[in-house]
Amino acid sequence: MSAPPPSLLDPSIFSSLEAKLEQETQVRDTLSQIVQRLDRAAATAQGLLSRVHSTPRARYPALVAQVEAAVKEEAVIINELEKVASQHPYYKYNNKWSRSIQHAIGTTIYCAWLGGFPSTSSSSEPESASKPAPEIGRLLTLEEVGAIFSVPTNLKDRDAFHLTIEEYLLSLIDLTQDLSRLATNAVTLGDFQLPLTISAFVKDLFAGFQLLNLKNDIIRKRADSVKYEVKRVEDVVYDLSLRGLIQRPTAGDTEMESA
Amino acid sequence: MTGGTKRDYDGNARAKSAQDLPRGRFHAMFEDFRDELDEHYDRRERIIKASRDVTAQSKKIIFTLQRVKQPNKDFPKGIQQDIDTRLGEISKLLSGITADLQSINRYRYGFSMRCLEELVEALSFSHYLRHQTLITLEETQAAVPADIVLTSHDYMYGLFDLFGEMMRFATVTTAQTGELVGDYERNILGDIQELGCAFEMLPQVPTKDFRSKMEVMRQSINKVEKLGYGLVVRGSERPKGWVPDMKDDDHRPVSPV
Repeated sequence: MSAPPPSLLDPSIFSSLEAKLEQETQVRDTLSQIVQRLDRAAATAQGLLSRVHSTPRARYPALVAQVEAAVKEEAVIINELEKVASQHPYYKYNNKWSRSIQHAIGTTIYCAWLGGFPSTSSSSEPESASKPAPEIGRLLTLEEVGAIFSVPTNLKDRDAFHLTIEEYLLSLIDLTQDLSRLATNAVTLGDFQLPLTISAFVKDLFAGFQLLNLKNDIIRKRADSVKYEVKRVEDVVYDLSLRGLIQRPTAGDTEMESA
Repeated sequence: MTGGTKRDYDGNARAKSAQDLPRGRFHAMFEDFRDELDEHYDRRERIIKASRDVTAQSKKIIFTLQRVKQPNKDFPKGIQQDIDTRLGEISKLLSGITADLQSINRYRYGFSMRCLEELVEALSFSHYLRHQTLITLEETQAAVPADIVLTSHDYMYGLFDLFGEMMRFATVTTAQTGELVGDYERNILGDIQELGCAFEMLPQVPTKDFRSKMEVMRQSINKVEKLGYGLVVRGSERPKGWVPDMKDDDHRPVSPV
């Protein structure tokens, strides 16, 4: 029609596509390296935590101190991850790290459950009777985990790195699995009270999961397993009460603290 | 947990009545999570619905475009009208979910927004037929009838599908006119080859999706190349003016492939 016959494509189209693809590869590589280190740190923490199954309760504090240190290692790496990840749309790359983050959250809440990361007195739960001995069975909230890692949680109106509700929920499910194993092993070590604490805790979590309107996704699939953990712990409690190894609870199943 | 709380199923308006009976320790926390997750699930649902309809409309635009006979001319009235109405429809659908796709949520629902690839395919095909050039990302963004950011991923994967449309168009028009269409001393065979080369030069993305798109692209190019071959070898045998059935692309009325 007019003078210069148009060429099919403006070369800048593909040079900019190429640049974008290359940048994406680079970002992925950087993230992979950080995530790999995070995985190692989480594995270390998890490894330490696995000792709890053969540790009597009196020696929890020593073990917990080690795990706390390992969690702090995780926090350092997570902060590095945050710096890189926050430069890009969160959900563009989040599948690279969400599993590892879930493990890191898991080690943290498990550590706190065993008495680590004591709550800073005045704030948080009013229910905790301020005992000198570390409180066992405490659940860190998502915000508390975020504070330990010093990263934001559940961001909605800002596109940056954060911990998600999904990651937290999945790590809770991991926790129930480990606790049901701990219930058995505590009995083996002669600790007949711990299964009661675990039982009440896992039941409360289960009740919580039942409040969610889950769609057919990963959380649903995983959450379905919680009821089996409840049952496993109940079986342990049943065995103990059948043989009179624990005091009969006075009412219902609210015995967790007891004498 | 007997009974459970009453809540209205598709609304954020959950009846927060005076809470009843035994509340576990984590009740409040999980209620918060429930609200957050419900919001997310509802949003995703809205997006998936709209996305499906946008995909359908885009496909219909493409069907309409395949009825164009000559490139580089204004589209016939009926065709232009049809496209405009459908784009209007798409605009309505997309503006309904624009708010759901802002900021952090643009990539969150990227997978559910695959309709944008289909839309890019329609827009790029329309652009090619009208101008015989490749639409740029900026032009595509400008043509998207909504305030939704196109990612380079949407753009690139939309272009992959352009190959199939060019192939179909080349097949039909070659059968009708007895030559490979095109102006500016270029024809559709050269164009599809050039475009293919540009994709071949890109760094390969190690995903299954990318690889299969590349494979389909190569097949489309190959089909057009065979058309060109057929024209040279036995083009004159074809009865002039014979018009193939254009209802669907399954018939391959041109020279045997």
